[in-house]
Amino acid sequence: MAATQALRALTLPSGALRRASRPAVRDALGYFDPHMVVVPGQRDPRAHASAREACPETPVVHPQLGRGGEPVSQYRFRPDTGVREVTDPGETGGEETGGVDILAVQSTDSLARLRRQLETGERRTASGAVTVLVVPDLSVEWDTTTLSTELPGRAELAGLGTALSEPVTVLAGGQQTEYSHEWSLTDDEGQPVSLRMAGLGATGRGGATFAQLTCTPRGTVAAEAVGADRFGLTSLTDVGPATADRLREHGYRTVDELRDAAVSDLAALPGLGRSTAETIHAHAEVIQSGDPLVLTNRAPVKTRNGQPPLCLDIETDGLTPTIIWQFGVYDPVTDRYRAFLQRTDPTDPKPALESFVTWFLAEHADRAVLTWNGEQFDYPCIERFLRQYLPGYLDAWNEVWTYDLYRWAVREGNALLPGRTNKLDHVARALDYDGADTGLTGAQTAAAYQEFMRNPDSEAAEPDWERHKAYCEDDCRALWHVYESIIGARRRDVTDSGSGGARGTQTGLTDFQ
Amino acid sequence: MTDHNNTDTNAMSGDRLVETFPRASLTADSGHVDRLELPAEPAERVPVDTVLGPVLAGSYPHDLFSHQATALDALATGESVAVATSTSSGKTHVYGLQIARQLLDAGVLTADGSRATDRNDAATALCVYPTKALTGDQQEALDELYETLGLDIRVRIYDGDTTGDRREIRENADVVLTNFAGLNVYLEHHDRWSRFYSALDLVAVDESHSYTGIQGMHVAWILRRMKRVADYWGGDPQYVLTSATIGNPGDHSSTLVGEPVTVVDEDGSPRGQRDLVLWNPPPSERHQNETDSTADVPGSSGDLDLTAGRSGPDSGSDPTAGVSGSDDSEAGFVTDRVPASVEAPRVFDHLTAHGVRSLLFCPSRKLTELSVKRAREHHRSNARAYDTASPELAGYNAGLGRQTRHAREQQFKTGALAGLATTSALELGIDIGSLDATVLMGYPGQRQSFWQRIGRAGREGSRSLAVMVADHRTLDQYVVDNPEYLLETDVEDAVVDTSNNSVFATHLLCAADEIAVDETDAGGFAGETRLRAAAQMWREAGFVDGYLEGGVHYCGPGRPQTRVNLYGTNETDYRLQVTDDTDTGRGEPDLDLEPVARNRAYRDYHEGAVRLQNGQQFEVVAVDDDRPQPVVELEPVDRDYYTQTRRTVNVLDATSERQRTVNGFTVHFGHGTVLVHHHSYDQMYVHNSEPKQQAIPTGNPPIPMDTQLCWVEVPDEVETALVRKYQGYGVETGVDPDETDAPHLGYVAGLHAAEHATIQTAPLELRVDKNDLGGLATLVLDTHYTHDGYDELGESVGESMAAATHAIERRAAELSEPPSSGWFVYDGVEGGLGFARAIYEDIESLARRARDQLRDCGCGQPNGCPACTFDENCGNDNQPLLRASAVEVLDQLVGDADRDALAEYLPDDPGGDRRPTVFYA
Repeated sequence: MAATQALRALTLPSGALRRASRPAVRDALGYFDPHMVVVPGQRDPRAHASAREACPETPVVHPQLGRGGEPVSQYRFRPDTGVREVTDPGETGGEETGGVDILAVQSTDSLARLRRQLETGERRTASGAVTVLVVPDLSVEWDTTTLSTELPGRAELAGLGTALSEPVTVLAGGQQTEYSHEWSLTDDEGQPVSLRMAGLGATGRGGATFAQLTCTPRGTVAAEAVGADRFGLTSLTDVGPATADRLREHGYRTVDELRDAAVSDLAALPGLGRSTAETIHAHAEVIQSGDPLVLTNRAPVKTRNGQPPLCLDIETDGLTPTIIWQFGVYDPVTDRYRAFLQRTDPTDPKPALESFVTWFLAEHADRAVLTWNGEQFDYPCIERFLRQYLPGYLDAWNEVWTYDLYRWAVREGNALLPGRTNKLDHVARALDYDGADTGLTGAQTAAAYQEFMRNPDSEAAEPDWERHKAYCEDDCRALWHVYESIIGARRRDVTDSGSGGARGTQTGLTDFQ
Repeated sequence: MTDHNNTDTNAMSGDRLVETFPRASLTADSGHVDRLELPAEPAERVPVDTVLGPVLAGSYPHDLFSHQATALDALATGESVAVATSTSSGKTHVYGLQIARQLLDAGVLTADGSRATDRNDAATALCVYPTKALTGDQQEALDELYETLGLDIRVRIYDGDTTGDRREIRENADVVLTNFAGLNVYLEHHDRWSRFYSALDLVAVDESHSYTGIQGMHVAWILRRMKRVADYWGGDPQYVLTSATIGNPGDHSSTLVGEPVTVVDEDGSPRGQRDLVLWNPPPSERHQNETDSTADVPGSSGDLDLTAGRSGPDSGSDPTAGVSGSDDSEAGFVTDRVPASVEAPRVFDHLTAHGVRSLLFCPSRKLTELSVKRAREHHRSNARAYDTASPELAGYNAGLGRQTRHAREQQFKTGALAGLATTSALELGIDIGSLDATVLMGYPGQRQSFWQRIGRAGREGSRSLAVMVADHRTLDQYVVDNPEYLLETDVEDAVVDTSNNSVFATHLLCAADEIAVDETDAGGFAGETRLRAAAQMWREAGFVDGYLEGGVHYCGPGRPQTRVNLYGTNETDYRLQVTDDTDTGRGEPDLDLEPVARNRAYRDYHEGAVRLQNGQQFEVVAVDDDRPQPVVELEPVDRDYYTQTRRTVNVLDATSERQRTVNGFTVHFGHGTVLVHHHSYDQMYVHNSEPKQQAIPTGNPPIPMDTQLCWVEVPDEVETALVRKYQGYGVETGVDPDETDAPHLGYVAGLHAAEHATIQTAPLELRVDKNDLGGLATLVLDTHYTHDGYDELGESVGESMAAATHAIERRAAELSEPPSSGWFVYDGVEGGLGFARAIYEDIESLARRARDQLRDCGCGQPNGCPACTFDENCGNDNQPLLRASAVEVLDQLVGDADRDALAEYLPDDPGGDRRPTVFYA
């Protein structure tokens, strides 16, 4: 399902919104380019107003206000026209081909009313695509003493699921944006009702994040959560809240304004210093231009044979893997992608592992391997599974030169990258990578394989292998794109920063040009 | 650990102590001093070569004690063992030798003790200790053993203090020594430990009796998680648990490790003759000039000591908790003795002045220092009795820096110090050489602890002396009155309960973060139903993804292991912090500022509370609970008072899960909601425990807790007879004269007293901190039950005490049958700790202890005294209480009284008065 057909809903939890500066909110809106904005959390007219002010053209959904005494509001999304508020709820039912309906209730208490409206036909939705239901105060409660959860409004939600013929996706205000669960409920008649639920992030705990939920017409939701501090001035390296305040005091309110400022002017600000001013300025340039900047002379990859690295990505069944079910390798030399998949017996991690490692050692033992965040995940995983299932290959694998571009760029601070998070797809997108749009996320691929593991003999549960292959391939190619962008990137004139050394700069340049 | 140096000892007999002590009133037949002689026990030895192979037998310098041999034989056949023998009986050598044997058998070591390979992929061991100090000590002990044996074995400590190359330890150590708080965290990165776990043959849990109650539950789950990790990498360890004697070594150990365990408790180590003196201090004369008249009334300092009530190494020993009792001096009974904290240092001085190398065990860090001062003052004031200079004494506690502690250990070993006044820090097996006598400042709360402490003296068959200076508290006075209690073979049971769902659920998150949880975990890690329920709950709440068919993976915020709090059970723990601008003057990292659970925070850390922490008074200046992890702010102060809270309690929705009949009484175990309200507090003067200001509101709401309950239902005929028998009682129960007209007063006062006494004597049978228990005596038992016709009250009354009381009253009015009466005992922790269950199972012994205490207390007061019936937290101001009717109820319960004797009080017409809806906590 192409994401161009999908609804992009940006959630700005009222708590996070209140703490964010106006330019930061605008920055976020510019970055996400949503069809609509949802403000979950406490009823907060001020937060609502500031969101509306930041995006006058985009509908801002904050049903907590209960405008005009009506606790339900309705919107409709069509890919060509975006999101429009539905002013006459009774008349929209005819369009079979129409887009996504969005129903927003004031609170969990209003669900009963909405259900009545739908049951009586007082309110209609199109049946072609998913209906998205926004419940700003909904959060799952759990009780560890009884090992049970309570879903507030459970019966009404089940009734809504029955009243609507199309799939329903509930956006729960009080759940984390990473939340995704398929609830199996029972309606008044005892019929099973299945509801997909995702979170809008107004959890009241943890850090403040903004997130874009991409809702496909089939009802799947993928979230891109970005810390609220990644927008506006604080998105820049070395700029915390205090520095941001100081910059604002001196008239620098946006990243753009900082880029346009002279480094010497910034360096003259109290408490900033030359080096920080340079970094801030450089990072502003990186964000605005979308071009990375290399800060040091260290190379991200060294090779044994002069050939570029192979780009590797693995897919597992979760964060504590019981299987690596796909090894994807992109070879930039041949421009070919090779996948090793475990398509039968999902409980046996050995065959795919063995195919991959024997192929690799036979064909490419002298090639360097590149991953994104592989030091934290891919490499220890592979080592763990080799140790468990094919210990004979462990030593040979450990001789392979492996690199982690994320570690080099972000953790070791060798480069400034555009993009608001350090996730590979976000970085690649900021670097204009034009990827295949599989509509999948890592969590979804893992969940798909989990489903296969639960029902290995069910055709319905068998993953769409080509789609998952395409997803993994896309990550490998995205990694190569980021690597190439870095290799071809500008490098900071280290002599000027005072932090490197003139000599080092000269020798280092040859690695890159 | 075994000390084989037979140094000359200067033992003093109990008789000689009494003869020589400089006090005219103290004579050989003084009623305040009781002497017991415990005969010597010879060693039972087994030739070492019948147990160990030639390499070890050839280099081990002694024969083995019989229990060491039994344990090593059991280990050789693949069994896990629990070694429960006396202090310094060579328990460390059991696992020390087993480790050596495994390394030799696995070929890591050659017959000459050198390493066959540098790498050890074949046999590793994990040893877990309750304290870091003990870890250090045991590393030395193991190193020393292996040096003696000529074996090149790498014994390494890996804990929060480990600096340097941690990776080197993970990859090369043969034996890793750590603690459970550390292990809990290290399990997350088990990949890094793959070598270690793949070769793991042995897990040693040292001083395993420490793990009771809350800590026991956590340790049981940490060990289960450890076993999953070991299993994942191919390790399949045996277990050695070592413990001082506990009442239930088999049950406790096998619950802790989740596997069958063979108990080895036939102690083969020798013991010299031991004189035991139970020393009750003389009555204090109110205006008599104490040797240290400026000092606190020490009994109260323990009430305030944070460490005293905590489970853990210090735990269970809460020697000065309780009421120091000086309010009702009109009675003929001695209510005001010289406190143990004043008397014990005198004995300590006397012994050390006679060249008797001694340890004085004190209940708090502050008292270790104070005791040294008091001992010197005693020496000075009795200069004529001693022809020597004041002996060299020093304090010892975990609040001292590591170097200071080490220096004092050495000075004591070499004889430069004649005595150490110590906290429980020296109770566990830290090597300080041999000594002749121990003095206990107060009963340490547990027989297990008592024997462990006095066992420090008189190693290797030499004669020794132990003096227990009693305090004026329930347990102390019970022990002094019933010295045979100490000599009974059974000591307290340690309680480990893995049924607490909250604790289980937290550890399940950790497990799912370490290795995906799947169907193979059903049965081994937890029962399938429970596992599925918890996985579903966390999945619906968004903390895990996946199913047991396949794998459940943790997907919540990073490091779920940090949710585990070894000292509490739920997530909303209160962090204690000293206000920023103050300096406590001690850079001690293990200052016991562990987070506390909410019920504890409400009781002990409300605003205005004054608590003693490591000898420093702190006042709670702010409580911020409007945040994910609430914070209690403490400020150092110098007040002339301490505080104690009062609570009211209600029990709602009690559901019986098991019941049994005991002499016509029905005893239940089940669960329910307990509503506890720490509503107000009193300020009490430190110097005399008199109230300074009373009933100051805490401002805290009541706390509802779903927990485990045990309750006793009194049979109708017993109730009816006793109500009539005691209907004349009024002011005797302690109530005001205008409240004496209720006909049930005398009876319900007995239930109330029986409830207090049951809880106060529980530590005689169980390793429980009595603060983890609570109770309620009621005339309307049935109204506290769940009932088909009613909604669960716990839901509807929410957090209102008044609403709960009102609901109970309404139910009482609606009852068609007259309700029964009885009393509840509950676990004061959300989800329960297993104590109520243990009490259910052994109500007979507990009731007997409670009865003895009520009957035998010398206070002569109908309503009792702090030593038998009073509870300092009683929300009803210790009213009404009546010993006589309590004794009679308990006599009936345990079957020591004739039921027919009650017949004369039974009415002809069994109707009876409509009872009032009363209950007392």
